[in-house]
Amino acid sequence: MKHTLLALFAIAAGFLVIPYSAYAHHGFAGFDRNSVVTYEGTVTDFHYVNPHSVVEFDVKDDKGQVQNWQGEMTSPSHLAPLGWKASSLEAGDHVTVSGYRAKNGRPTLWVTKIIANGKEMKIDWKD
Amino acid sequence: MFTAAAFCQAAGDAGIPVTNELVIAKCGACHTRDEHGIMQRISWERSTPEGWQEALKRMIVLDGVTITPPEARTLVGYLSTSHGLAPEEARPVMYDAERRIPDEDSIPYKIRNACTKCHSFARALSWRRSADDWKVFIDAHAAQFQVPHPEEIVAYLTKAAPLHTPAWDAWSAQNTKPPNITGRWLLTASLPGRGKYFGQIEVEAAGDDDYNTHAVLTSVNDGAELLRVGRSVVFGGYAWRGRSQGANAGEQKPDDPNNQTREALWIAPDQSMAEGRWFWGHYQEFGFNVKWRRPSKNPTLLLLDRASFKTGSQANRVRLIGDRFPVGATPADLNFGSGVTVKRVISNTVTEIDAEVDVAADAAIGRRDVTAFGSALSGAIAIYDRVDYVKVVPESSLAAFGDPTHPRGYQQFEAVGYQRGPDGRLHTPDDLDLGPLDPGDLTWSVQVFHEDDEVNKNVVGDVSATGFFTPAAQNPNANFDVWVTATAKDEKNKNGRPLTGKGYLVVTVPSYTFRGHRYVRDLDHWIDDGPATPGGH
Repeated sequence: MKHTLLALFAIAAGFLVIPYSAYAHHGFAGFDRNSVVTYEGTVTDFHYVNPHSVVEFDVKDDKGQVQNWQGEMTSPSHLAPLGWKASSLEAGDHVTVSGYRAKNGRPTLWVTKIIANGKEMKIDWKD
Repeated sequence: MFTAAAFCQAAGDAGIPVTNELVIAKCGACHTRDEHGIMQRISWERSTPEGWQEALKRMIVLDGVTITPPEARTLVGYLSTSHGLAPEEARPVMYDAERRIPDEDSIPYKIRNACTKCHSFARALSWRRSADDWKVFIDAHAAQFQVPHPEEIVAYLTKAAPLHTPAWDAWSAQNTKPPNITGRWLLTASLPGRGKYFGQIEVEAAGDDDYNTHAVLTSVNDGAELLRVGRSVVFGGYAWRGRSQGANAGEQKPDDPNNQTREALWIAPDQSMAEGRWFWGHYQEFGFNVKWRRPSKNPTLLLLDRASFKTGSQANRVRLIGDRFPVGATPADLNFGSGVTVKRVISNTVTEIDAEVDVAADAAIGRRDVTAFGSALSGAIAIYDRVDYVKVVPESSLAAFGDPTHPRGYQQFEAVGYQRGPDGRLHTPDDLDLGPLDPGDLTWSVQVFHEDDEVNKNVVGDVSATGFFTPAAQNPNANFDVWVTATAKDEKNKNGRPLTGKGYLVVTVPSYTFRGHRYVRDLDHWIDDGPATPGGH
């Protein structure tokens, strides 16, 4: 189901008036696109699915507290031509993730760049 | 030689003559026919019953063709037989008739992307056309729907889906008499959330390509019996399309397996087996995965009630379901491969053997065949030593809020255990599927993206202890991204945390209005349902 659902997701996201939540599926209104933040951490899970692939990763702050972050990306249809697979990231991988942070302060960002185990993985994200 | 009326088809493509009087009468006003029986467009095309049905609907709506339901069935029956697909051509696109939403990743991205913005690629590959007819079709499609790269799409489809193929030539020569499908079939099925079923189905002839059915299915999980009565048609000698109804008709829950189902099956050319889906629900979200087999004179092993054994485990109970098992089975009649010892047969009927097995600590990890009385079931059991991860399936899915004219769309989830394969990476093809985890070993939860409070459950919906998601009763007029999470009670990761798996669910509105038109959901796409009514949607 990695591709065919995309049409429905895309149209739904684009056309709907969304009164309930800025995060209801799923424009970018909920992300602060005026600044890019970068976090370093350890992957806890990777979901290579529609409508958005998602990397979950733990980030340790200066005090040693660990917070789990969710980094959202485009769909497998867009990532696959760039070499992505379901196994591209897995728990334990070291990542540096850059992107637009959620405006509501939740530990979520829209990924614009990702480096895994020292190697940049192309996303080809265009604003 | 074809005349000019054969419409400038390229050399090498011989049109298929149309001989059916009703087709000639109903279609001939627009699709002219030459002295060789070649009709414009129709002679240069082949398709599935669904493809021809869709074409016929288009002619009725757009071109004012008048036709009765029996005439429509005759037309679809003739066209999907004389201008149909060979079974081997139809099988790869059966998921479209079965109303499934699988990956279509084998199609080149640029080609696929142009088509699947509006429909599955299976819909394109449900047709076979001459090179000229693909060009006519794609050019018209590109003009109407702004399809990008039309030349490349024509080139791809002309090569991938030509009018003439060896498979079609062989099948059209062979398919001259009704299929031999009456009588008793062995039946196995699985229903997400309810597990495996076994039983039998009796097929009786009921006229020209019509058949009545009586099916009995028994749940492997709880022994519950389902009786289903149905009626179906076979198009083109192999395309089973019908309906059946459970015996316990009446007020039913949405996921009740007694609901009326549509049936879409592919019958093998040698008529030894058939497989497909019996499905129901407003979005066809519920369905049995069904397989029929002709009974053998010999014992036949059909399925096991479990999918895996752990190394070093003792006294594992396992039920082997089949047909014509001799009574009086002994451990020597069963074989699970090296390292798995059948300690005893606990009970044995002609359809079931209940056995107890021990698994050696050093039994080889992997999938293996199981044999009962010489009947082998390929890859029936997996031997594992740990659960590395839990996958929630479907990994990506849809549910829908309801409104006064649309019932809610539901989603059943399962959590499947996996052990990583020899390559050492997670989520690769060599990973070992250990089967669905028992709901009693799991807890399920939902979480709306970017939120962490319980309030959203009331807005979006909730998942039951068996992984069944029910959208909220009120339509909030918004789509939501939701994680549906299964957490294993006993299985832990290497850090000692419970193993979890997540499914990405989008809960959609049932319809919306855009630029004066109303759009409604059909499986995985939005369909323009015409102008929105004033004061309405």
